[in-house]
Amino acid sequence: MTDPILSIRNAVKTYGKINALDRVDLDVADGEFLTLLGPSGSGKTTLLTAIAGFAPLTSGTVSLRGKNISGEPPEHRGFGMVFQGYALFPTMSVRDNVAFPLRVRKRPKSEVDARVEECLDLVQMNAFADRMPSQLSGGQQQRIALARALSFKPQVLLLDEPLSALDKKLRADLQWELKALHDRLGVTFIYVTHDQDEALSMSDRIVILKDGRIQQQGDPETLYNLPRTPFVADFLGKSNFMDLTVTAREATGLSCTIGNAAFPVDAPDALAIGERVKVALRPERIRLAEAGKEMLSGTVRQVSYLGERCQVIVKHEELGEILVSRPTWKVGVHPEAGLAVSFGWDRDACVVLENDENEAA
Amino acid sequence: MAQSTFRIFFSTGAWLVLAFLLLPILVVIPVSLTDTSYIGLPKEGLSLQHYAAYFQSPGWMAATWTSIWIGLVVAALATAFGTAFAIGCWFLSDRASTVARWILITPILVPPVVQSLGFYRFWVTLGLIDTNFGVILAHTLLALPYVSISVFAALANLDRRIPQAARSLGASVWQTVRAVVVPAAIPGMITGAIFAFIVSFDEIVGVLFITVRNVTTLPKKIWEGIQEDIDPTIASVATMLVVLTLIVTAIRILRK
Repeated sequence: MTDPILSIRNAVKTYGKINALDRVDLDVADGEFLTLLGPSGSGKTTLLTAIAGFAPLTSGTVSLRGKNISGEPPEHRGFGMVFQGYALFPTMSVRDNVAFPLRVRKRPKSEVDARVEECLDLVQMNAFADRMPSQLSGGQQQRIALARALSFKPQVLLLDEPLSALDKKLRADLQWELKALHDRLGVTFIYVTHDQDEALSMSDRIVILKDGRIQQQGDPETLYNLPRTPFVADFLGKSNFMDLTVTAREATGLSCTIGNAAFPVDAPDALAIGERVKVALRPERIRLAEAGKEMLSGTVRQVSYLGERCQVIVKHEELGEILVSRPTWKVGVHPEAGLAVSFGWDRDACVVLENDENEAA
Repeated sequence: MAQSTFRIFFSTGAWLVLAFLLLPILVVIPVSLTDTSYIGLPKEGLSLQHYAAYFQSPGWMAATWTSIWIGLVVAALATAFGTAFAIGCWFLSDRASTVARWILITPILVPPVVQSLGFYRFWVTLGLIDTNFGVILAHTLLALPYVSISVFAALANLDRRIPQAARSLGASVWQTVRAVVVPAAIPGMITGAIFAFIVSFDEIVGVLFITVRNVTTLPKKIWEGIQEDIDPTIASVATMLVVLTLIVTAIRILRK
């Protein structure tokens, strides 16, 4: 990263004895769509609040283009912010809400009016300019909040779970819109969510937090395909976990044995023969077939039909219950509880994990 | 059967309690219309002579105006300070504001006589005995908690993220308070101002302690009226206050 717009160094925030943030380092590139993803209590909101300037860090610094802004109040930082509950001003019309940041900056009226129109246009809400916030639906309110946060052309837009109060379909629509808006404006977005779908669908980069620490970061594809720890493998999508023993070493990689079948596993570092490894396997990477066709055999425990996908729980003697997720048009067998099936996967489907305790940069 | 006995028993009880609450208030109405020159029920006919006496008496008129203007000043001061206090508390951490709220509410908890004794001691030292300012100050202190409590209630509905949003959009703390917090507090401020006016208009114990002859409010005048002569003018004043209260209450109920 050549020239980060925002740098966080050694950020620590303690509430009593709890470390909400524990030595976090993070650089944000200019124009990036960065998502802070984690379960509640992971420190993602604390980090965003510290960037916004509402709660100062216990120690560590926040820098904007190389200038330390840790001591600056929120109004001097010039970051737009969009909140979970929209936080529109209830006593002001839509127009006055969007004009607010420009009015506190004492811009001339002609400029304010033009910019308000422009921003309402950006979120397709011109027709609602004279409504009060209480007369709008949740999705419309969030659009206004977005227009308001963008009206003063901030360098960075902070978004704190902006879609979590909306219903599923609207959320999906707004994800597309947010992404399009980001690409069009080139503003840096820092987006906090606990929803992996939002993180995967919009981000240039995802930072996964747990217990106030960064677990892993990377672009959505890398994170999804190469999780480093069981936490990441389970939090971003679903994973089957297997504890295996390395039994052989081949030119192409390692081999582990399950029952009497040897399985190839891609592992980057040298692992000795006989070593125990924890492996993650995505449910959609597993093939299903009639008994005897694939390397492992098991019995169908439960089937869940989800429309586009079909989830099957297969019981294997040694591995226990394995979750398999197949496209409904290509399940491989017609699954029903009690059916004997076989299953297997490709060499690169398994990912060798580190332990959760290992600190990942 | 048992059900209906139960209902009759309790509805009779409810009406009796209501009558017990209201009759002593309503009895002033016939008394105010008495044709006698002492406090009693009308003997030979109804008369408005005591109403006329009230409006023609400079003493009664002066006391009424004193109570009204002191009440208005107290309402203004208590609303300003009480609102400032409530907004300040709203921004403070939960624990600090809980402590501050309890301290402010003490005037409601302490018996009026004890409080008035305190006022008397201090007002002697400060030279405020028997001055309008002394009464205004005492009443403002008594009315403050009512204003603060109603502003607290109004601000309880204000999402904490709204002032945060204002700050992030570039508003200073002061601009945020003016643009976002005060508008949210206005319903509470109006209720608080009405309460403050009533507290001051109605207050007697403190006034008896800290005034002598210069300042006479309406409650004090009524009190003295009972003590010195048994003039039915008191009943006509009381009737007018009751009617006024009923009108204001009716307007408030109908508006909702």
